[in-house]
Amino acid sequence: MRKRELEMFFGPQHLGMVGNLSITLQVEGDRILKAETNPGYLHRGFEKLMEYRSWIQNFPMVCRINVVEPDSMEMVYAMAVEKLAKIEVPERAHYIRSIYLELARVGSHLFGLWAYANMLGFDTVAQWAMYHRDLILDLFEELTGARVYHIYLWPGGVRRDFPEGFKDKIVNTLHSIGGCVPDYDSTFFNNRLFYERAKGIGRLTCEEAKELGAVGQVLRATGAKLDIRKIEPYAAYQDIDFAVPVREDGDTFSRIWVIRDEMIESVHMIFKLLDKMPQGEVYNKVPNPFKWKIPKGEAYVRVESSRGELGLYMVSNGGDKPYRAHFRTPSYTHGLVILEKLLKGASIADVGNIMISLYVVAPEIDR
Amino acid sequence: MDKLKQELGLFFKDTQMDIPEADRLLVSVKKEQIISILKFLKGKGYDHLVLISCVDWFKEKEFELVYILTCYPEKGHIILKTRISRENAEFKTVIPIFKNAEPYERELHELFGINFAGHPRLTPLFLEREYKIPPFRKDFDTRKYVEEVFGPIPPVEETE
Repeated sequence: MRKRELEMFFGPQHLGMVGNLSITLQVEGDRILKAETNPGYLHRGFEKLMEYRSWIQNFPMVCRINVVEPDSMEMVYAMAVEKLAKIEVPERAHYIRSIYLELARVGSHLFGLWAYANMLGFDTVAQWAMYHRDLILDLFEELTGARVYHIYLWPGGVRRDFPEGFKDKIVNTLHSIGGCVPDYDSTFFNNRLFYERAKGIGRLTCEEAKELGAVGQVLRATGAKLDIRKIEPYAAYQDIDFAVPVREDGDTFSRIWVIRDEMIESVHMIFKLLDKMPQGEVYNKVPNPFKWKIPKGEAYVRVESSRGELGLYMVSNGGDKPYRAHFRTPSYTHGLVILEKLLKGASIADVGNIMISLYVVAPEIDR
Repeated sequence: MDKLKQELGLFFKDTQMDIPEADRLLVSVKKEQIISILKFLKGKGYDHLVLISCVDWFKEKEFELVYILTCYPEKGHIILKTRISRENAEFKTVIPIFKNAEPYERELHELFGINFAGHPRLTPLFLEREYKIPPFRKDFDTRKYVEEVFGPIPPVEETE
């Protein structure tokens, strides 16, 4: 039979697509000859809008850039403001921030696991992951009053201390999630179906990954033991000892296993942080936010979000608003460069498989 | 960082360098030097291009292009800056050196109107409509644009 080339639109309204992203595929039979990512379905121009709002007013803005993990967005913004205005953060606030970010990482990875398992047809595992993420959102609700967009960090610390008995609640919740790890393993991670479906798909070598600018678990799945929490410790990460999970193969299977190992490591980290947490103040006073002017300067800060290096380049011209802010988001290179490369030669059934394992979050690309 | 600063000073003339704090190097250069300095820094291990950004210095009628580089296993970063004219803004692409520069340059072309010579696809990335002034320039007024396109913003009525 004669084969012919077709143009196929994949997403944003497609069952295999999570998020508002569309990919134009050139296919011949089942093989993809060329893929082009078309972002822009969620472009809200946040970086421009930030130039019209004062330093404090931008907090509700930045967390909305990423729906899955808004907390690391708050963290980079708070860190950039602290760097520009030279504000110190108390020791206890550093610990609270670290615990907050690790909880967010577990929640975000569970969300990613939901998307991935759902796409592969493991509906039960997907529902478990969503339920466990909800338990973490409950913790956030008690701590901050909001479930998704918390707006909890503040230049110079955090907005309020842990409520009474909150420490025990974190421990109980994490124990109940951790108790389900054997169930997750036997139904999903050690399942032959998952192995067959993911092994060898979307393979990336370490050199390629570095050349294309991969970060986070995409890079760690290729064998590079690189984590910004180790390289350039922020918050309280220099005080505790933790492992960086690594896999060698660089395929979809490895990426999902790195996510699993990172979740478990994060839970251990939270326990260590809770044990070491000092007493004291949780924020340093900042000047009156309505009249707050930050001296001229520029800053680049970066954190390890659940998807990799998240950075913010911010310029102040001595005014009460940022002069320019530019987010460096991990999904940007993953979604626009690496995804296009990996899809070349893959089959149509693997588009969702590769995309979700790269953890491409569309709002983060568009900003 | 100090060593790198000395080496850069030896190889490239007319560069302004500053280390405002540990692990952070600011380099301002002329626009002709960017390509050779990026190649030099890549050879020195700074092979991870983090970001290409642009700042619109409206009063000085210049765009400032910002290249941020890191060397992954090490702490710190380099901020490489150059200024180009705001009128008919044009620059060379750096895709031959850093492959992941492609979407960043595409974004700057769309949002600031900078033309990158040699870029394989300067097609629209995010935006839906045509704009007279590229929207991230400082002279683009978002409120005025909204009123022109979507009609005036209705006043908020106070209710008892």
